[in-house]
Amino acid sequence: MKPLAYSRAASLPDALRDTRTEGHRPLGGGPLQLVDVTGLSADIGATADGGLMIGGATTNSAVAGHPLVRARYPVLARAILSGASAQIRNMATVDGNLMQRTRCLYFQDVKTTGCNQRHPGSGCDAHGRFRRHHAIVVGSTACIATHPSDICVALAALDAVVHVSGPAGTRIIAFGEFHRLPGDTPTLEKALQPGELIVAVALPPPTTEVVSAYRKVRDRASYAFALVSVAVIFTMRDRHITDLRIVFGGIIPKPWRALRAEAARRGGPASDQAIHAAGIAEFGQVYRPAGRSATPADYHTPTHLDVPEIEVMWTAIADPRSALGACGIGEIGVTGVGAAIANAVFNAVGTRVRELPIPAPRQTDFQPAAIARRRHFIQLGI
Amino acid sequence: MTICVNDANAPVPGNARVCKRILSCLTLAAQVDGRTVTTIEGLGRADARHPLQAAFIAHDGLQCGCCTPGQICPAVAMLKQVADGVPSVFAGDLALARDEVRETMSGNLCRCGAYNGIVAAILEVASETAA
Repeated sequence: MKPLAYSRAASLPDALRDTRTEGHRPLGGGPLQLVDVTGLSADIGATADGGLMIGGATTNSAVAGHPLVRARYPVLARAILSGASAQIRNMATVDGNLMQRTRCLYFQDVKTTGCNQRHPGSGCDAHGRFRRHHAIVVGSTACIATHPSDICVALAALDAVVHVSGPAGTRIIAFGEFHRLPGDTPTLEKALQPGELIVAVALPPPTTEVVSAYRKVRDRASYAFALVSVAVIFTMRDRHITDLRIVFGGIIPKPWRALRAEAARRGGPASDQAIHAAGIAEFGQVYRPAGRSATPADYHTPTHLDVPEIEVMWTAIADPRSALGACGIGEIGVTGVGAAIANAVFNAVGTRVRELPIPAPRQTDFQPAAIARRRHFIQLGI
Repeated sequence: MTICVNDANAPVPGNARVCKRILSCLTLAAQVDGRTVTTIEGLGRADARHPLQAAFIAHDGLQCGCCTPGQICPAVAMLKQVADGVPSVFAGDLALARDEVRETMSGNLCRCGAYNGIVAAILEVASETAA
């Protein structure tokens, strides 16, 4: 284990000074001397222009549960609650979400030699290999990682701005410019300069008569990263869309603002045909890197939400072939495998397998008449 | 898995609630300096079980038992958080329905698949607490 030290920043000036020191990293943003910045501004308050200012150290749970967020920016609450688990949302902060790094398997594997994010110039091992959760739009030969955040998708749709503070003072970054596309420099993921910290995220006043939604598609019902997610905010008048914003998550290294789909839909009728046309306008040219997209490694342990209610039924008919007369007690998915192999040996050899592990058949085990009988039964489907 | 309960006399960093569940594997011990930390060992004893521990036994909420402390601790905190009005993605009226429990407990995986028994145990304790 690497030795590390820890300190808690009491104020923003302290945090800026401490995190700028060589070898120091902010905790809450990412890990060594860790400077805990999770105790800094965690206030949520209305701004003079009718918007909302959210302190960078506010936890996801606190944002999603705040009355002003729930009432005025429901798409943000919904996006947050669609992400991670309840205990992680209790720990995760707004600035940490903005700063979080990709879940690319090749980036996560520290022994990976080919990752331009970990070792610039070493190449990208994800190309042509297992590429689930990788970019499908705006591919870069240097990196096909995706940004995993849910909250950032909603913040991009809401036209949020990021307030940062650093050695050169404070400045504001438009949300769409905070995360960068990889291009040839995938290590430069964010627009933050060295020594800068996120202080707050500001939301503009909510539009009236607006409809918004957040949808997320994932491998299981809960507690999984998005295969794709989308935040949609639109205004309708006389069955026509007067304004809309569409932002996708999980398909490129930043929230993907679907400007072509927005342009195709703005001012048009809200019909199925028009929605289909907008999809083609946006994704007519989808990036398809070579590689596999589904392997046994995709197996996910189901969560509470994946497992339906199970009704247990008992049969009163005894099974004469088992000592206790019981039918089908046990872990069926596991016991079936051994029995199937033993039956296959029986079918091929003609002698019942009565011991485990299954022994290699001896010459005397081969029973041609029994094999013929088995073939007959197999043809009958018995 | 831990439940973290703030000491009333300690400064409350961030916007921590009085009682909230967090992941122990993501928490440095130094980060909870000045706070009270409750783990499964602090909930009950073999001769004086926490109601949820008793309910897990009554409803067969476990098979191998590996995940059980990690299911019970956050379930205790979840019941408290629901009382505090912390929403989940399902919560319209914050009623503690079966789906609500399933969603908000989905951060705790059970490889044996004892989910039905776990949910039954939590719902029983929730109804007893409400009554």
